[in-house]
Amino acid sequence: MHIPDGILPASVCIAGYAIAAPFAWYSLRQINRLKDPTEELPKASLLTAAFFIASSINIPVPPSSVHLVLNGLLGSVLGYFAFPAILVGLFFQAIMFGHGGLTTLGVDAVMMGVPALVAHHIFRVRHAFRQKLGEKLATNIFAFLAGALGLGLSAVIFFFLVITNIPSGFDAQTEQAAVYGLTLAHLPLMLIEGTFTLLLVAFLQRVKPELIERRG
Amino acid sequence: MRFELDEYAYLDSPLHRWEPRFKLIGLLVLIFAFAFVKDLRLVPVVLAIAATLYSLSRMPLSFLISRLRYPGFFLLGVILLLPFLSGETVIWQCGVLTLRQEGILAMLLVVGRFLAIMTTALILMGTTPFLTTVKTMRSLGLPSLIADMTLLTYRYLYDIAANLSTMQQAMQLRGFGASDQKKRLPFMPDLRELGLLASLAGTLFVRSYEQSERIYKAMRLRGYGSEKFKVRPVHAGSPPSSADLRTWSGAGLVCTLLVATSLVVAEIL
Repeated sequence: MHIPDGILPASVCIAGYAIAAPFAWYSLRQINRLKDPTEELPKASLLTAAFFIASSINIPVPPSSVHLVLNGLLGSVLGYFAFPAILVGLFFQAIMFGHGGLTTLGVDAVMMGVPALVAHHIFRVRHAFRQKLGEKLATNIFAFLAGALGLGLSAVIFFFLVITNIPSGFDAQTEQAAVYGLTLAHLPLMLIEGTFTLLLVAFLQRVKPELIERRG
Repeated sequence: MRFELDEYAYLDSPLHRWEPRFKLIGLLVLIFAFAFVKDLRLVPVVLAIAATLYSLSRMPLSFLISRLRYPGFFLLGVILLLPFLSGETVIWQCGVLTLRQEGILAMLLVVGRFLAIMTTALILMGTTPFLTTVKTMRSLGLPSLIADMTLLTYRYLYDIAANLSTMQQAMQLRGFGASDQKKRLPFMPDLRELGLLASLAGTLFVRSYEQSERIYKAMRLRGYGSEKFKVRPVHAGSPPSSADLRTWSGAGLVCTLLVATSLVVAEIL
């Protein structure tokens, strides 16, 4: 889910960079407050590469298959490293496959990165429900929500940007209906993404709990 | 998946010899000037500029076509409906299918901008070795954390991709994906299958995480992050001197900036 070059006018592309910059700045500031940011750097880099590769896994949904976006999971696992990780990932996707683009890098980073930061905070809410729901159930519920809402928010931003910026000549009401309609069509994908995030977090909790406890 | 970014980065052409900082600034400004174009009459001009630059770079045409194919299909998926839905002037009708003039013009504009921007971005990235590009961005103010992350991610991307394909092959050899798809409900992913794929991705993360711990130790032993030695994998390149500005590289930068400004001025007028 990337906006390719050429669709958006220059003003929107520049606004994308202008909105992405403070998020990147804030994330870097939070990272620099860590005890030893250099220790976290290789971990975040290799996990970025792993997320980038894992998003190419095909999930069979008969009669076809879908790819996952994994930005909710990225936020849950990487915390504030998620925003620079998404910038780096999008940069590679743009220059290696032409998926996204250099002019739309800022817009795409906001579209994927801000929901990832939201997912990070959603996933942290599980600590408040640990006592009431039990450790395992609370983690599962909030992993699902982080995954599903990470994708859902990205979808809303994507359709809003594409539909309001394509020179279509549609009236505002049609555009609004189209944004709602296309986002609703993404509900099944949100369910799949949420379930996948839940299963993956449960796997990590069994195998390598420190991976989700570090940032989340 | 093809990862070789530096395939044509070592050819000899004016664009390959262009000083990397000037090239990065010049071509990025040009790319944004292309994105600024809204007047259809300017589309042939921007396409001609991109084509001239590409022929100057001496990279083969097949490289450009192979890079445009995938994003091209994606773009068409997004805008293919425009000529049928958008606008009021009908120019062709057959049953329920109606081609509208405004929609066609909007599609031509988007496709023109897309081709010009993609070609110029490919020239920018294709004519400079990737390490030089990152060093150049670092010297132009990219934070060191993002520069280091970019290079480390790039270094291990190949490894992790190979790791995933080995694991996927092992899954297939053990019978994964052999079940009959036709017997299953349409649009419903199989929960057991989803669980196995989540474990696959999870294993990839755990392996990468453990590998990163070993890499960090190796980096520390080589002095990474040390205040005393100031060792960093990415050094900022030296700033351009005033002598550079008087060379062909400087002239190239001035030319691209002039072309970009004229495009923006022509668009406004």
